[in-house]
Amino acid sequence: MFCERAMELVRELHRAAEGRLPAFNEDGLRQVLEEMKALYEQNQSDVNEAKSGGRGDLIPTIKFRHCSLLRNQRCTVAYLYDRLLRIRALRWECGSVLPSALRFHMSAEEMEWFNHYKKSLATYMRSLGGDEGLDITQDMKPPKSLYIEVRCLKDYGEFEVDDGTSVLLKKNSQHFLPRWKCEQLIRQGILEHVLS
Amino acid sequence: MFVSDFRKEFYEVVQNQRVLLFVASDVDALCACKILQALFQCDHVQYTLVPVSGWQELETAFLEHKEQFHYFILINCGANVDLLDILQPDEDTVFFVCDTHRPVNVVNVYNDAQIKLLIKQDDDLEVPAYDDIFRDEEEDKEHSGNESDEGSEPSEKRTRLEEEIAEQTLKRRKRREWEARRRDILFDYEQYEYHGTSSAMVMFDLAWMMSKDLSDMLWWAIVGLTDQWVQDKITQMKYVTDVGILQRHVSRHNHRHEDEEHALSVDCMRISFEYDLCLALYQHWSLHDSLCNTCYTAARFKLWSLHGQKRLQEFLADVGLPLKQVKQKFQSMDVSLKENLREMIEESANKFGMKDMRVQTFSIHFGFKHKFLASDVVFATMSLMESPEKDGSGTDNFIQALDSLSRGNLDKLYRGLELAKQQLRATQQTIASCLCTNLIISQGPFLYCSLMETKNRRCKLLPLVMAAPLSAEQGTVTMVGIPPETDSSDRKNFFGRAFEKAAEGTNSRTLHNHFDLSVIELKAEDRSKFLDALVSLLS
Repeated sequence: MFCERAMELVRELHRAAEGRLPAFNEDGLRQVLEEMKALYEQNQSDVNEAKSGGRGDLIPTIKFRHCSLLRNQRCTVAYLYDRLLRIRALRWECGSVLPSALRFHMSAEEMEWFNHYKKSLATYMRSLGGDEGLDITQDMKPPKSLYIEVRCLKDYGEFEVDDGTSVLLKKNSQHFLPRWKCEQLIRQGILEHVLS
Repeated sequence: MFVSDFRKEFYEVVQNQRVLLFVASDVDALCACKILQALFQCDHVQYTLVPVSGWQELETAFLEHKEQFHYFILINCGANVDLLDILQPDEDTVFFVCDTHRPVNVVNVYNDAQIKLLIKQDDDLEVPAYDDIFRDEEEDKEHSGNESDEGSEPSEKRTRLEEEIAEQTLKRRKRREWEARRRDILFDYEQYEYHGTSSAMVMFDLAWMMSKDLSDMLWWAIVGLTDQWVQDKITQMKYVTDVGILQRHVSRHNHRHEDEEHALSVDCMRISFEYDLCLALYQHWSLHDSLCNTCYTAARFKLWSLHGQKRLQEFLADVGLPLKQVKQKFQSMDVSLKENLREMIEESANKFGMKDMRVQTFSIHFGFKHKFLASDVVFATMSLMESPEKDGSGTDNFIQALDSLSRGNLDKLYRGLELAKQQLRATQQTIASCLCTNLIISQGPFLYCSLMETKNRRCKLLPLVMAAPLSAEQGTVTMVGIPPETDSSDRKNFFGRAFEKAAEGTNSRTLHNHFDLSVIELKAEDRSKFLDALVSLLS
């Protein structure tokens, strides 16, 4: 039946868990576009025939093909847009440098879009807070204290602190460090915030 | 050196620095650590916490961290050995040691620059005087220097030479006498191992001095003290004195709330003083199980024998508790029975020769459901810390145990209670099987029991050495020396030094890794000659 491939694309994204970005389905998209092209050409010839040959019985077929074309268009646009939303969320999750695994999952155009978004966000952040700008990707939840107690879940190695000295992060050691230094590592799962 | 003003010389020094905390693996250390953590979090002192379970771990961790920190705080480790010798720190490193192990090593006492002892000096420490142990090396060097630039007159030189020789022999003799006396003094001082005031109480005292003490901290101090009592580390007298001190704090905290118009809500934490039974975990278990698995009652009734079991039944009949009630969960027992339970049990216990059935302790409750005695929390935390490892890293257990002390982690505490029940049961079963199968042998000056009774009446007075296989691949055995249990004993353990001497004498391969010097690891092949040396040493 028509529009099967387009449904596949949408289902693929629906199955992917929140925040994850599956690989860009080049093949699937190409197949959908081919189907759309085939439908469009068939419709073109049928319309010409209907107009010139007066064949009114072709009109339902034309209408049907037109609906399929619209559906294909909706599905592909939904697919592309949802991916863009996920990529945008990645900027807020992982920071401005994406892990290489994720980069392979994006198409070239998506990469370009991501760079534009990054630049746009950076320009906005620089315009806030007077001269220095304000990093709004920090502190997603209102912070309760300047320093937090964290526990190290994996061996990480040396981690530099503000005054130039470093702290050795070993598994199961606990540290009491400034909040802003720890947030990145908490997001990466190396440190765990201990609530007492 | 001993720190006299904890606030100025310790807290204000570390307040603006980053510090590293080394915490030993016992409940008292955990409690002291929690109190100190709470203080540091209040004042935004950046710290790093590293759990250590033995000397090797301490040394490795120190080597890893010495570049990054100048201030180290050691809790329940490090006072009884020469720290500077073992760790070899840089010149500007400072150690703050809060340890219950005694005797405090003399080098630690007299080093002013790098080692600060957070130990109260009113504990009877009996540290030898400085002049008795240390002698200025420079005096001798000066005299030898004088000899070399003597004048050249021969006759004068000869008489002067004779005088000098006489002087020197006198000096040498004095020096030998001094050294002999020094050896004696040091031997007397370091002979026995014992424990001082709980570290948790010391830390609570610091918090109180700074008026930053909270009820949570008071509870941790109570648990720390109870841990010392449960593990028989302090004498009864000292325990009672310390309980008195804590009781004053408890009434001060409670008094604060009674004055207000609105009474405290049920969910708030309340600490109260109790004169309660010393049966382990009895409120979270059935009374029968608790009686069978508490060391005190199991030993007095001799529950490993049939005769003992009968005596237990007699005892229960004497108290007036039906067996059916006693065997179900304590919380489901009839309220009429629970009302005067403590007094009734105490009376009957006196008849059966157990005078110390009730003990002064504290309990905590919050909410309608959660009520714990201090000893309950001690057993739970201990079992969490000692639970057999599945992953292989000892620090996981430490973290679990540390978490369970926070009030928000009640599920961990309950898990600990279950583990504690298993642990107590297992201990009782092992002991029962040892006694029944006569695995305990009398080796002359001590009883020896190798895990895989003589009906000797002297049993009670002899110390016990136990060996348990530690690691099959390395063929090592853990040996523990336990001094005899009497009511008036001063809880001093001489096995630390005895083990050391025996090991030296026989060239056995031993590893003194534990902070308690009376627990060592030994290669299984050296066991028999080690024991022989120990026998000859102690007889």
